[in-house]
Amino acid sequence: MAPETKNFKEDILFHEFNTTETDYNQRGYHLEVALEVNQVRKFAQKAYDEGFYLVFVTGFHVLSEETAEGTTSGLNGVYQFARYDRLYRIKGQVSVPEDMSLPSICDIYQGASWHERETRDLYGINFEGHPNLKPLLLSDEDRDFHPLLKEEKKLKSLEAVSWTPEALESVDADAKAPSSDSIDS
Amino acid sequence: METISILPPELIRMLIAVIIIISFLFLNAIMMGYLERKIAGHVQRRPGPMEVGFHGILQMVVDGVKLLGKELLIPFNVDRTLFRVAPLLSFTPVILPLLVIPFSEKLQARDLSLGLIFIVSMGSVNVMALLVAGWGSNNKYSMFGAMRAVAQSIAFEIPILLSMLAVVLMCNTFSLKEIVGAQQKIWFVVLQPVAFLIYVIAGVAETNRAPFDLPEAESELTAGFHTEYSGMGFSLFFIGEYTNMFIVASVATVLFLGGWHGPNLPYGEYLGVVWFFLKVYFLLFLMIMIRWTYPRVRFDQLLNFAWKYLVPFSFVNILITAVLVKL
Amino acid sequence: MLESDFQKQNRFFLNMGPQHPSTHGVLLIVLEMSGEYVLDPQPVLGFVHRMHEKMAESRPCGGFMPNTARMDYVCALPYNHGYVSLIERKTGIEVPKRAEYIRVITSELNRVASHLLWLGAYLLDLGAFTPILYGFDDREHILDILEDITGSRLTYCYYRFGGVYQDIDDKFVDATRAFIQRLRKRFVIYEKLVTKNIIFIKRTENIGIVSPDMALRYGMTGPNLRGSGIAYDVRKNEPYSVYPEFDFEVPVGAQGDCLDRYMVRIREMEQSLRIIEQALDRLPEGPVRAKVPKNIKLSPGDCNFAVEAARGELSYYLVGDGTSTPYRLKVRVPSYSNLSCLPELGRGILLPDLVSILGSFDLVIPEMDR
Repeated sequence: MAPETKNFKEDILFHEFNTTETDYNQRGYHLEVALEVNQVRKFAQKAYDEGFYLVFVTGFHVLSEETAEGTTSGLNGVYQFARYDRLYRIKGQVSVPEDMSLPSICDIYQGASWHERETRDLYGINFEGHPNLKPLLLSDEDRDFHPLLKEEKKLKSLEAVSWTPEALESVDADAKAPSSDSIDS
Repeated sequence: METISILPPELIRMLIAVIIIISFLFLNAIMMGYLERKIAGHVQRRPGPMEVGFHGILQMVVDGVKLLGKELLIPFNVDRTLFRVAPLLSFTPVILPLLVIPFSEKLQARDLSLGLIFIVSMGSVNVMALLVAGWGSNNKYSMFGAMRAVAQSIAFEIPILLSMLAVVLMCNTFSLKEIVGAQQKIWFVVLQPVAFLIYVIAGVAETNRAPFDLPEAESELTAGFHTEYSGMGFSLFFIGEYTNMFIVASVATVLFLGGWHGPNLPYGEYLGVVWFFLKVYFLLFLMIMIRWTYPRVRFDQLLNFAWKYLVPFSFVNILITAVLVKL
Repeated sequence: MLESDFQKQNRFFLNMGPQHPSTHGVLLIVLEMSGEYVLDPQPVLGFVHRMHEKMAESRPCGGFMPNTARMDYVCALPYNHGYVSLIERKTGIEVPKRAEYIRVITSELNRVASHLLWLGAYLLDLGAFTPILYGFDDREHILDILEDITGSRLTYCYYRFGGVYQDIDDKFVDATRAFIQRLRKRFVIYEKLVTKNIIFIKRTENIGIVSPDMALRYGMTGPNLRGSGIAYDVRKNEPYSVYPEFDFEVPVGAQGDCLDRYMVRIREMEQSLRIIEQALDRLPEGPVRAKVPKNIKLSPGDCNFAVEAARGELSYYLVGDGTSTPYRLKVRVPSYSNLSCLPELGRGILLPDLVSILGSFDLVIPEMDR
């Protein structure tokens, strides 16, 4: 298979952000954008102006860290965008600050509305500026129950779950054991 | 007439007629239910009911018993009186038109000189039942169904009346017997094809059958006006609907298809009923086939169709008929 | 017209669902209405929410395979396909060519089955009773064919990391070819019965127009998007598996109304048959399962894989942490984004049109609720 990774110069579109080009064949998207909280709306607006559509908004939970700006909440917001006209997928990731809130992008992408409501349900991230942040998938009684938050002992640091070129090889090496099926057995 | 002496006095005659008609009405509902399911089955390339009796012929009887055995559910917050009256209101008025329908030359309970008017006025009572059922159910879906039923009934009664009028103009009488008698040589469907077509289309709409079954419209309104009904209440609506279909088809037969006329049979004045029923059930067969073929029209499209096409066409048809009759 | 004082005062709410016949499952839509006009439809999801994403985080990645089929049970094999491909991309497992061909054949068969079901259900929404039985009749053949090799009729768990569960046999090939011939003949019936039906056209034309910009704002994908004239198909735009080797077209509509979405799906079935035919002709010999490690380790870092499910782009987003259990698995399901435009699309339309639009979106509720 291995579809060729075409470079349509989209990477320079997002030059104002902290971008990293990624290997599509290994990770399934082309550009990783590390965002600050105050850049989220700018990033979404840029993506909209350039003709990207919203694939999803979600989050994931890692250990909170001490940074220069303060303690992070450990939650990360993940935004994925892609294009209708050619193969280009971007991922934006932002660390949610301690007040557990991110700016809402649902006035730029109306489709984000449900994704943000879902993310609030599952993680408790509060999307500021969302007109209707009611529970969507969970019921009203479970307003304060966020099932995807991990227990303390299962939490890992952001580095431990971040992609590194070496990570793949290290796992490959110890997984060369002879095989059979992982489901059937 | 020489047969009048062997007939019982008028009152007893009427009573017997009513009893025969009511029992026929149930029989008709059972036959229609069976026919509908069987034809639907064959249209959809499946056998239809097969289990109860030969080719499922007793299926509707069993279903009827089941419906009789069901509890009469009356939901909270409904208007109990209206809720109970509505099924009866749907069932009773449809008996009366059968009294004036000439099944054959001699088989007619009562030949009113204004028979046609009588049938039309009784037919319009049916919509009252739907309105009462929808209103009494205190359910928004039922209410939608009731409102649609009223609007639809008003819209389609006009083309029905106008197409009937075209026939009345030609034979100068409202008596059904005389209208049939006037078709001895040639059926009015040949002379009045437009009126026939308008009558059949409007008749399908008047009986709330697909593709015009908007008061029920189960994909939009769950079940429309009879959403809240169960058991015998539901089956009375059901019987009412089938009887209504039967009346519409019989009136079409009387007005356009020559009633009992057909190739001569022995005892023709009684056995003309065979031809009559053949014609009626042919029309009913068409109505069933239409139901299982077409999607449902939208509400505004239905009303537009009535007011913008059927009504003007029937007026033009009447005008032409009047001019030709005068000539 | 909608903003008259009378209508402002006479608004009421109507609960459409969760047991309404045309929401196709447990979807509730709270309609704010004025007469028969819908002013504000607000879908309420979550009646069959099962938290699949949490389940994925609590078991080794192989254990999540059966879950994939339980999201979109109407078209389960592309869900299988996306998940195994995701893990294969993450761990670098090479899949034998024959296995990929079998995956494509079965996935496309499943897509046709899904579209046939949709065809019947949509016509049922519009009030025609017969097409659903025709559709089910044809779909039954596909289910029989798939049952023989996958062992199940609806919630398949047929693909494995590095291949498929078992090889297909001559019986499968013959049955599939016979089915293709049969369905091509049936398309003629469908066209006569449905596509050229004047009432059907009146009920779908110019109803529920989704403009390309609106589709983009809501992230719509699949036939619903292609109805609006954007030729975006993951199989073409982001080729995966062996799809680049086949010659097929991406049908698009003109203006994005219900009729366009209908036509796109009908023509898509024909294209799927073409793909299956080509795949059967060129089916390579060889193994159908690669050797994979017994204990699959997911390296740290994220990975995304998108496939074209019957309803649009299905995207799995995985974050690994070096163990065999995913640290985070996000499933992006197409119906979810597709339906999210309903509040905007359904403003000021008639109730029957809303039913028509819902049907044309081809919703599968358990897929949205996950």
